Amino acid sequence: MTAIVPEAVDAGALPRAQSGDHDAFAEIIEQHEAMVFSLAYHFFNDRGRAEEIAQDVFLQLYRNLGMIESDAHLLFWLRQVTTRRCIDLTRRSRLKAVSLEDAGELRSIERHSDAFLDRRLRAFIEQLPDIQRAVVTLRYQEDLDPSDICRIVDLPVNTVKSHLHRALQSLRRKLGERP
Amino acid sequence: MNLDNDLKRAMRRESPPAGFAERVMQRCGAADSAAAAEVGGPTRRRPIWWRAAAASVTLAVVLGGYAVHRQREGERAREQVLRAMSIASEKVAYAQQQVRDIGSH
Amino acid sequence: MRKFVMTLALISIVAIPAAAQSIRIDFPDLEDRAEEVVDVTLDADMLRLGAKFLSGDDEGERAVRDMVKNLEGIYVRSYEFSKDGQYDHRGLVDRVKSQLGATWKPLVTVRSKTKENVNIWADMRGDRVVGLVIVAAEPHEFTVVNIVGPIDIDRLAALEGQFGIPKISKERNRD
Repeated sequence: MTAIVPEAVDAGALPRAQSGDHDAFAEIIEQHEAMVFSLAYHFFNDRGRAEEIAQDVFLQLYRNLGMIESDAHLLFWLRQVTTRRCIDLTRRSRLKAVSLEDAGELRSIERHSDAFLDRRLRAFIEQLPDIQRAVVTLRYQEDLDPSDICRIVDLPVNTVKSHLHRALQSLRRKLGERP
Repeated sequence: MNLDNDLKRAMRRESPPAGFAERVMQRCGAADSAAAAEVGGPTRRRPIWWRAAAASVTLAVVLGGYAVHRQREGERAREQVLRAMSIASEKVAYAQQQVRDIGSH
Repeated sequence: MRKFVMTLALISIVAIPAAAQSIRIDFPDLEDRAEEVVDVTLDADMLRLGAKFLSGDDEGERAVRDMVKNLEGIYVRSYEFSKDGQYDHRGLVDRVKSQLGATWKPLVTVRSKTKENVNIWADMRGDRVVGLVIVAAEPHEFTVVNIVGPIDIDRLAALEGQFGIPKISKERNRD
């Protein structure tokens, strides 16, 4: 089992930020910006949108800083808020259509290139239903176990495992592998 | 092809565009200004006796004690409003979804 | 899993003030048995104060600010238990229902053996909703929400997921 271990933030950045130290809050942003941005980017496969979401999340953190109890809590809070925001935006907006035909064509031409495989994978992930997308992103970007993921997405652990299993089956099918 | 390894590679963390932290801090500063303007908003009309009290309250504001207290009270009230509406909306949305699910069968 | 749902129309409102009813939603017997309790009590003054501190920058908070500006109160009690069977769902629904006057109409009833059971009643003045009571029951959690004042149910449901304030912990303290 993977524990949710706080990453090494400068000892005291959180309490300093909570006391109103803006430099300390900037340190917190710099420490976690890649994680937050990447969660949103891997969800929507869109850098511009990912930055908007990431900015919103940190602004929300700024307004709720008093509620954060520890570095571990901060990490959990950022992951959960970002994930929830992404899921909510997916449900409220039209999904961008990604052509399966295009992805298939890409596969036949660029089969052995890692860079293109990465792009194809991200495009396929973007087509997954929102919860599956969230679970896959948290599992492979953040290296979290289902027991940790279930707290972030607020679902039972078996439901999370089931979503992960279905997502991977779907991805294998799209890649043309045997499930 | 190992899907696990491919996914870990494809999903590795990436940095946002340069200057991200600065852009966030600018928005935080703008949010502070907006909140300060809201707190100092219009007050209702009060009877004369209240003005004397307001004078001493003003003194407390200058000293900073009352402002801090009111700020904290307001922030707590805000958190409570958000928590209450969050719980209410979650339950109503769930019920609506159940209705839609049944309707689609 | 069986699911039985009755539904009535969800109604939109015009924000016109009307005398609305608040109900008693404290259950001391539940509080004694609960592991954690969420208690939110916001009268009109606290709602105005809280609304002043809601962000105009944040879409979700702006929507909340707009919704609460005409409300007279929001009251929430949520009881979380460590195991099943700690409360009598039907009995509690009856206790809530018995307080509702003639102007209250049932809107939705969701019954499930394995998922959440939800009852929603609306206090109606013509076609306007001037109050809402929500009772939600899961095996380990019982929640009652009373909203006093004009409320748009569709807009309330649309808020879901916008907050991002995770339910990390629940406190047993009254603010």
